[in-house]
Amino acid sequence: MTAESAPTVGGAATSSTWLPGWFEAWFPVILLAVVGGSLPLWGDSFFGIIATRVCVYWVLVSGLNLVVGFAGQLAIGWVSLLTIGAYVASALAAGRVTPEIPAYVALVIAAMFGAVFGFIAGLPALRLRTFYFAMTTLGLSTIVTQIALAWRSVTGGGVGIPGPSMPAPFDTPWGFYYFTLILALICTWMTCNIAASRFGRSLVAVRDAEVAAEAVGIYKPGLLMTVFLFSGALAGLAGGLFATLQSYITPDAFTFDLSVLFFIAILIGGRGSILGPLLGTAVLTVLPEFAAPLVQWSTFLYAFLLLVIVLLVPGGIADLLDFRNRKPLDQHREIRPRPELLTKVLEDRKRESVLELKGIVLAFGGVRAVDGVDLQLTTGEVHGLIGPNGSGKTTMLNVISGYYAPQQGSVKQDGTDFTREGSYTRARHKIARTFQTPRIIGESSVIDNVMIGGTLDGHASFVEAMLLLPRQRRDEKHLREKAMAALTLVGLERIAGVRADRLQHSELRFVEIARALMVEPSFLLLDEPAAGLSVDEIERLGELIKAISRRGTGVLLVEHHADLIFDICDRVTVLNLGKVLASGSPDYIRSHREVINAYLGA
Amino acid sequence: MLVESIISNGLAVGAVYALIGIAYNVMFSASRVFSFTAGSVGMLGGVFGAILISRMGMPVVVGFLLTLLLGAILGIITEIVAVRPVLKSLDQHLYVLSTLAIALMIQQLTAIYFSTDAVPFPRVIPIEPGIFDQKFWLPILACILTVLGLEYLSRHTLIGRAFLAIAEDNYAARALGLPEAGLRMASYALAGMISVLAGFAAGQLLFASLANGPLLNFYGFVPVALGGMGSNRGAVIGGLALGLFQQTANYFFGGIFSSVAVFIVFIVVLLVRPEGLAGAATARRV
Amino acid sequence: MKFDCRKVTRRGLLKGSAATAAASLAPGVYMPAIANTDPIQIGYLPAFTGPSSSTGIGIGRGTELAVQEINAAGGIKGRKLEMVMRDTQSDPTKAVNAAAELTRRHKVTIMWGPLNSGETAAAIQNIARDGVPHIHPCWVDSLIDVKKYPMAFRNGPSNQQVGAAANHYVVNVSKAKKVAIVSDTTGYGTASLDAYTPALKKIGGDVVYSASVDANNPDLKPELLRMRSAGAEAIMPWSVNAGFLARIINTRAELNWDVPIVGQTTLGSGQTKALLAKPEHWEKVYPNNFRNLSYNAQGQLPPQSAEFVERLRKAKVDFADTLLWWVALGYDGPRLIAEALREAGTAPADITAYWNTKVKGWKGVYGTIVWSPDNHDGFQQEEIIMVQANSLKDGAFKLAPGYA
Repeated sequence: MTAESAPTVGGAATSSTWLPGWFEAWFPVILLAVVGGSLPLWGDSFFGIIATRVCVYWVLVSGLNLVVGFAGQLAIGWVSLLTIGAYVASALAAGRVTPEIPAYVALVIAAMFGAVFGFIAGLPALRLRTFYFAMTTLGLSTIVTQIALAWRSVTGGGVGIPGPSMPAPFDTPWGFYYFTLILALICTWMTCNIAASRFGRSLVAVRDAEVAAEAVGIYKPGLLMTVFLFSGALAGLAGGLFATLQSYITPDAFTFDLSVLFFIAILIGGRGSILGPLLGTAVLTVLPEFAAPLVQWSTFLYAFLLLVIVLLVPGGIADLLDFRNRKPLDQHREIRPRPELLTKVLEDRKRESVLELKGIVLAFGGVRAVDGVDLQLTTGEVHGLIGPNGSGKTTMLNVISGYYAPQQGSVKQDGTDFTREGSYTRARHKIARTFQTPRIIGESSVIDNVMIGGTLDGHASFVEAMLLLPRQRRDEKHLREKAMAALTLVGLERIAGVRADRLQHSELRFVEIARALMVEPSFLLLDEPAAGLSVDEIERLGELIKAISRRGTGVLLVEHHADLIFDICDRVTVLNLGKVLASGSPDYIRSHREVINAYLGA
Repeated sequence: MLVESIISNGLAVGAVYALIGIAYNVMFSASRVFSFTAGSVGMLGGVFGAILISRMGMPVVVGFLLTLLLGAILGIITEIVAVRPVLKSLDQHLYVLSTLAIALMIQQLTAIYFSTDAVPFPRVIPIEPGIFDQKFWLPILACILTVLGLEYLSRHTLIGRAFLAIAEDNYAARALGLPEAGLRMASYALAGMISVLAGFAAGQLLFASLANGPLLNFYGFVPVALGGMGSNRGAVIGGLALGLFQQTANYFFGGIFSSVAVFIVFIVVLLVRPEGLAGAATARRV
Repeated sequence: MKFDCRKVTRRGLLKGSAATAAASLAPGVYMPAIANTDPIQIGYLPAFTGPSSSTGIGIGRGTELAVQEINAAGGIKGRKLEMVMRDTQSDPTKAVNAAAELTRRHKVTIMWGPLNSGETAAAIQNIARDGVPHIHPCWVDSLIDVKKYPMAFRNGPSNQQVGAAANHYVVNVSKAKKVAIVSDTTGYGTASLDAYTPALKKIGGDVVYSASVDANNPDLKPELLRMRSAGAEAIMPWSVNAGFLARIINTRAELNWDVPIVGQTTLGSGQTKALLAKPEHWEKVYPNNFRNLSYNAQGQLPPQSAEFVERLRKAKVDFADTLLWWVALGYDGPRLIAEALREAGTAPADITAYWNTKVKGWKGVYGTIVWSPDNHDGFQQEEIIMVQANSLKDGAFKLAPGYA
């Protein structure tokens, strides 16, 4: 999320400006209300029609924004849903299938159809890679147009059908404008709320750091399908409004150019932003109107703008408006964790727990990366896992955290076997990890990155988040407080509001630790956390890890820094060529002859 | 008569799809990305042919060679403007947007400067239209020659083997000192030529029309998706099968249902085997 | 005359470009033309780009010439006629926007166009709501309705009339009873199909094939084979897509099938001709056209049209690559508008009343127009006839064989 991100309900110091938190979060709503609401004062009724069109398109784009901008799914052919919504609303209002239905009801039903088809359109996204999915949406938009042409009894075929007419007071041009403006405002508000909730953050996580998202318990299919459903509903509603605006719809009104407009508005506006795409939609809709000779160039200009944005300003308008992240950061930042604050983040673990791996065998093709390994982790212990490159350390970590299912062997925690369960279930079992290369969402702020760790803490549903009901507000407050505590613990609280891609490598490692701690793990798996850290930082890292283990968490530390291992580990296991070479106390390992030969040296 | 018609049309149009699919593959092999420009540049093959030969009166051979040259230039422009800058970025999906932008710009410029209507395409070989007319066997011939040409290139020429090396193992090839950027540009030029060849060969069948752009983009991609990305054999088989399927469905169900049928088959196959029928599964992520 | 004076404040929005953009959109201080020398603004909505642009271009030439002539002769009581043009790009969405701009911002006195049915269908509601007198030449039947659109008048034939002329030729003049009707999948095509199939049956025709086919389909052989095996004695295609029509004509030749092709005007356009595999294929193709603009058996145009053609040549207006009737249609529109303005003034109610009551046999170059309070379809059935496509000369054709 970018500059105008989360409302600071709870008062954490991420909004460093003098504006109240809700103003920043809801700025798009406020802007739209002020500019849009005052329109009759400074624009004529021609501009009213254009503004109505902006509102109708924005209803669709606000939903599509979550799909394209937040989830990163390149749904290029979304005009198909506009078409479906328009025809459903018009056919029902004109009484072509059922007796005539009142306009409001027709709009609601159009939204429902949109939701269903949005869901269907989104299903391929779960399996297909980006380009393929983009192609399927293109294919879908062609199909829908062809069906609209063919199904003459309902859609009027090529001749078309009249759109729904609104009852008073929305049947005048200005009346209808206010109707669409109100709907646009509601959609803006809802999407702002979603963006500032764990759903918004999860979407961005799935887009930019999918592996890390799974590790904290985000279940991608469920999340994506919810968003497609929501986006489809808004698109269907927009379709009904479009049909009313046009007063008569024919298949040739639903051009590919419209799909392009919707899609490009989001990218020009900037991913992960609400304000950017809102401005983008307004600009792209209005632009051709005030330069009449340019009308036939409009789609060319949209495409050109898209190219410019992709090559020069990938962050779009939102990036240009992101003033907070222009402020220079202090160059000599030190990371000083405060292990004493651990009590605020992790509860004291009373019960002992054991994570047992038995006989793990994992082969890739012909190569046995892990060949019969036993490993036992106990809470309250730091267990080191060392060995030469290619010995299977990271693979073991990946088996424990569920990215690979072993061909043989089991992973059990206190008797519960979850060998074959997917990686997204680990967070539920209170197992958290960090990664060899930090998996961080560069475009989001540091605190947003950490808050992702607490996704499973949230109880509010998508609808509650959308409508900012009390349970959602409580969730957010609690989550933000906990995240600040975690950041303070690792010593990064001063850069909580900074975009994560501005951080140094070592800071990112600590951010990952803070994120993992949000899970309140029984077992914390660290994958080479000391790589790239300075000597001082390694020392502080060691103290932090020791404190974590003393608090009752079991830590598995995969590392190459022998000093760190022998300093803080209670037990050490050495792997070589996928097998356990030796396992025991640090002293035992240090003097083990085979270990010295294979790995440690003299 | 009917069966003949379905087969000749199906194979001809299928050969065009196969050629576009091969163009997609050539670009993919060189850069690991798909470009939206394959179909749009293909459309320009027909348009250039119509303009150079019909409107400007050039001899067919000259017009053809000039069209190939223009195709190569467009391929190079695509590589420099839309592909090279985004390959460096961490965000892997920018190429979809940049190539989409270029394809759209090509479409719009054609709409503005050429025409939105279909334009007649000149007769390439001045012989009478017989039973198996040149509008059918020209695309098929073009497809066969392209496939044979690519085989020869990759087996017997140095540059062809260099292309293969880049496609197989990027890092190793660079470590060996192969000029990756130059080879990639050359690949894109080649893909551009294959695309315009497809459009040119199909000119008498499909006419020179703006609408061919999106048509070729989608139907040229289906063979790649189904046949497995990077596999030219898959593209050819997929393309011909698609052409025949489309014409058969056209006859039995009409144009609208044939598009729906193609789309459903496309989706179903991809959902069952996302990597295509001949493709390899995706590599490790973690 | 009505006054409508408004002061509008300018308002800049946020920064630089946004402010400039908004400023150009917000209208400045606006005063109507109360002075007697200000031009009268007529809204004009052609499609010069996009799939349906060939009609727009042809009609545009006639309109331009008419406006030039009217203004050269002194305009409307000293006031010049000014066409305020917006290209709809063949897109109903843009047509709605453009119509609104013309009626609400420019406050045009009369609206001429849009020239394509899909666009008019979308724009006509708002034009009617804004109370602007409206002339359009679009053929779709539902686009004229004296109750829904009391100020809208048509100066061309309706679809129903056009179909009736073709059906009459096929069944009664060339005596082909078994008929195959085919259209493309556009609005115009499918509407025609739906209207003409029952109309044909009513006059005694036997419809053995009736379908809408995707115009992008490169192979129409299966369709024609189906027509032939059903025993069709004539093919009636309804589409404005030259590629589609050319394919039908070419396929008929490939099958060596000797039946007349009778139907849409575009069968005879230069574009269709260019897409034929061989010029001979154009034999026995009979498109719609209009008696006023067709050569009789002696190869002559009616006097008024011959004189019109002379005027076109003198003004160097090109019409060999388009259809003469499009140019004529474009020419008649502004003249109907000018006459109403001259006789009745610029008040909407007066103009409408004039058209309702005073246009009885108005002799246009394109056709004779008769309007009444309950009939706004002005064109006369007898003036719609079929012509021989391969007799194309200077944008006009010879009458088809068999007419009295």
